[in-house]
Amino acid sequence: MLCPGQQNPGDSASRGEQIFAQRCSKCHGEHGEGISGVISIAGPSLKAEHDFGKVLTAVEVGPSHMPSFVYSLSIDDMRTVSHYVTDKIADIPLEEGDIGHGGDLFRMYCASCHRTAVRGGALAYDGSNAPSLVGKSPELIAGAVRWGPGPMPSFPSSVLDDKQLSSLVTYIRAVQNPAKPGGIALNWYGPVVEGCVAWIAVLGLVGFTIWIEKGGKG
Amino acid sequence: MIGFLARTVDNRLRASKFLRSAINHVFPDHWSFMLGEIALYSFAILVATGVFLALFFDGSSAKVIYHGSYGPLRGVEMDKALESVIHISFDVPAGLLIRQIHHWAANIFIGAILVHQARIFFTAAFRKPRELNWVVGMTLLVLAMVNGYLGYSICGDLLSGAGMRIGYSILLSVPVIGPWITFLFMGGTVPVDATIPRMFALHVFLVPALITVLIAVHLGIIWRQMHTNYPGPHRTNKTIVGSRLWPSYTLKSLGLFLLIFAVIAALGGLVQIDPVWVYGPYNPVAILPGAQPDWYLGWVEGAMRLFPGVHIASSGKLWVPEVFFPAVLFPAGLFLLLYLYPFLDELFTFDAREHHVLRLPSEQPFNTAFGCGLLALLVVLEFAGGDDVVALAGDLSVVEIRAILRVLVFVLPVITWAISYALCRRARRRRQERQKAAELEALGDAGSTSEVMEPQA
Amino acid sequence: MKEPDQGDRVSETGGVDRPATFAPSRKQVGKTATVPGSLLALGVLLWEWATKVVRSQSHPPRPDSANPIAGCAECAEKAKRGAKPSEVLEVEPVSHEQIGTFLVVCAFLVALAGGIGFLITYWTGGSNLLLGATVALFFGGLGMALILWSHLLTLNRQVEEPREQMQPPPHEREAAVEDFQAGANQVHRRGLLKWMIAGASGTFAAMFLTMFRSLGQSPDSTIYSTVWKRGQRLMTSEGKPVSVNMLVPGSTVIVFPEDSIGSEKAQTVLLRVDEALLQLPSDRTGWAPNGNLAFSRVCTHAGCAVGMYETTTHQLMCPCHQSTFDVLRGAVPSGGPADRALPQLPLYADADGVLRAGGGFSDIPGPGYWGMP
Repeated sequence: MLCPGQQNPGDSASRGEQIFAQRCSKCHGEHGEGISGVISIAGPSLKAEHDFGKVLTAVEVGPSHMPSFVYSLSIDDMRTVSHYVTDKIADIPLEEGDIGHGGDLFRMYCASCHRTAVRGGALAYDGSNAPSLVGKSPELIAGAVRWGPGPMPSFPSSVLDDKQLSSLVTYIRAVQNPAKPGGIALNWYGPVVEGCVAWIAVLGLVGFTIWIEKGGKG
Repeated sequence: MIGFLARTVDNRLRASKFLRSAINHVFPDHWSFMLGEIALYSFAILVATGVFLALFFDGSSAKVIYHGSYGPLRGVEMDKALESVIHISFDVPAGLLIRQIHHWAANIFIGAILVHQARIFFTAAFRKPRELNWVVGMTLLVLAMVNGYLGYSICGDLLSGAGMRIGYSILLSVPVIGPWITFLFMGGTVPVDATIPRMFALHVFLVPALITVLIAVHLGIIWRQMHTNYPGPHRTNKTIVGSRLWPSYTLKSLGLFLLIFAVIAALGGLVQIDPVWVYGPYNPVAILPGAQPDWYLGWVEGAMRLFPGVHIASSGKLWVPEVFFPAVLFPAGLFLLLYLYPFLDELFTFDAREHHVLRLPSEQPFNTAFGCGLLALLVVLEFAGGDDVVALAGDLSVVEIRAILRVLVFVLPVITWAISYALCRRARRRRQERQKAAELEALGDAGSTSEVMEPQA
Repeated sequence: MKEPDQGDRVSETGGVDRPATFAPSRKQVGKTATVPGSLLALGVLLWEWATKVVRSQSHPPRPDSANPIAGCAECAEKAKRGAKPSEVLEVEPVSHEQIGTFLVVCAFLVALAGGIGFLITYWTGGSNLLLGATVALFFGGLGMALILWSHLLTLNRQVEEPREQMQPPPHEREAAVEDFQAGANQVHRRGLLKWMIAGASGTFAAMFLTMFRSLGQSPDSTIYSTVWKRGQRLMTSEGKPVSVNMLVPGSTVIVFPEDSIGSEKAQTVLLRVDEALLQLPSDRTGWAPNGNLAFSRVCTHAGCAVGMYETTTHQLMCPCHQSTFDVLRGAVPSGGPADRALPQLPLYADADGVLRAGGGFSDIPGPGYWGMP
């Protein structure tokens, strides 16, 4: 974490810090930890973004709700602030973890809100539901776990250390696209939708029965 | 060759006589009489696929570390039961197909029973002498629901494990004997390793045997009493009108069986059901939302969510916990009412005669309205059972949905009752007017001919 | 020698095969002296014997064809009683026989294609989707064939038949009762027999019900305990002790007593809130050092793990039936079907800053039962 007044080695680092404070901190938090709010509206945590190319592309293109900075910042400035993010802000080391252990952690802590197939879940009083994690990058997820956006609790490194976090994220990535050898997955909603399909089948069979005995007067 | 076999058997059993009455048995010609067969054939499919599954399934709660072909669960500790189910789903050729056919057939079995029961109810086919068969049928419904619950609970996954934990709490909540029956039947305190093997034995041996015996009794009674008929020409209490078993009904019935198998096989191949590998193993510290039971118990789940929390405590002790009312008292009361319904019907219509002609729904407004109201109640409860899925899918608040449903659960059945009652009365009145008009016309003709004849002085 | 009947086969030698003799005649053996030849002869003879036996039994003496039921006493009786024969009401003729045949053959071919498709898919390790679709085609095709046959190629005849009333006529019931009484009268000392049966049934019922005891155990004292004891450290599922500053406000962790990690009953949710927001009851003021709150994780409604925590509204929520608990006021139920608060675990921080339990839960955790204190 850097204090604004501190002297940093190298101009580019302090320049990066400056640009970040001016342009990015409003949405991404003073230290890139994210703004508490619904994740799709406020800026997510950048604590796991180690990929320079990815960050630069995001600054240029402005994915999702993020504005593009390609007209408001020079190429050099964009590169500088991207370096700042990947070098100074991002401090969660993400690597390939133990997928089985990650699954156990997921089922203990995360499944109750996000569902076992990570397609989101209903909450009660907050006014929003736990979002689906499909299509979310591992860095985004890792940052969200540490930071706890909105009604989500946070899991600092004292609760889930980096290795556990890596395992968790590895599992979530695997289950974003779970194996569905059985056919149409019905968005993994579970017994409720399966029951609806069963009833459609029953009514279809009743329809068949009507056709079989058509013309019968009983 | 068939002739040779038939003659061989007949020469030893003198079966010709029975066979003759069998092939000449008369069945009424209406599709609503074939609904029970949907259930019967689904059960046959369940038994056949169940035998296949039982060859691979290991009904044991012994813990094992998974090292199979499904990656995300490697290294995870789970019950042997779950490991065997994942093995069936991923490694046994056609294993997943048979497993999905089995589960879909179970859901369709109970749906067909309900559709069949609705036909019996709305046409008052439960009147004497068929009250006995109604009782047998209700028992079959209960056994089918129990076996379904047992069936998906023995997999040992997180979804059904949560359901078992809830079932444990429901058993526990029964006054006076709760802790005793729970410890006795579940085998101890949660999480219980004895429960899955026990449920396996019940699911595979005892309950299917009971269902088979009761189906035989059910069919035997129908055979002995013969079907009813809808009201119509030639259809009286002393006669039966319809087609013979051979060839008409045989072809239709067999055709229906094959079509049912086709539909269930199509579902088994195309639509995934109960993906236990994504739910993961049951661990009492883990939990998942959307932990609904299969649809036929969704109304109990809905009752559990909607009933306001009320418990009975005094002198510092809890006596009756909250779950007892929605999960034990309400279902037991409803089933008791349904069991006794034919006898109550006889009581309130002052009619205990033998009936072999059905009563049209519009001729029995109270019965029909009661049935429609009950169905409306069950639909609202089923909806309530899935309220978190609805909230998620529609991006609504589960609290709001619950508040709306708490009102709807009273209002909708009453409105349905009133509307169906009114419709029945109107239909009955219309039919009576039509009959009267027809009679008047006939009388009018007779009157005109008599006018032509000159009065004899 | 017996004259050959109509059904007898005349053998090569010109003699008649007598069913009663099992061994071939010497003449026949002599003629086909080679071993296979004699085996063949033996086989042929056995076959002859078998079919003759079957044929002799399959043609019982035919009744007089002119009046088939003349010899049948039951039918004569029925006719005498004046039972109304069945009456044909309506006949639906077979129309569209050619189209019907064509459709039925098409359906059958579809079924065959499905069946072969299944075999191919199975042996080439195909997908579940294909397996299911081919099975569906097979059975669906056959089913359609049968039903189309019934619609288009079968003469459907509707009949009316008399129906047997289920209420037995008085004489029938009386006759049955009479027979039963007659039999019963053959048994002497019936009163004693009744007492014996009653006693035996009662005893057997007791024996049967007793066997249920083998199923399990009676509830023991564990149902009254809360597992936690004063002074026990809070441990995560990995066995790490929890310090008073491990959590920040808004974070949560699952903890267990140090000697029962993984215990279902003792599982506890530890969360940290801003101390200023706490509204705990007055007898629990010391229970939350630095805003650390610990509650039982077993829902008091139906026993699911209360896994959901909404930090913005400070609500613990159970995903099973959406019961919510207000954390700031001691996890009292704030909505949903639960009616009793989650038991709270008193906490204190020891000299090293490690969180320890200040006693057991405030109530017994979990859903209730009769007589729960």
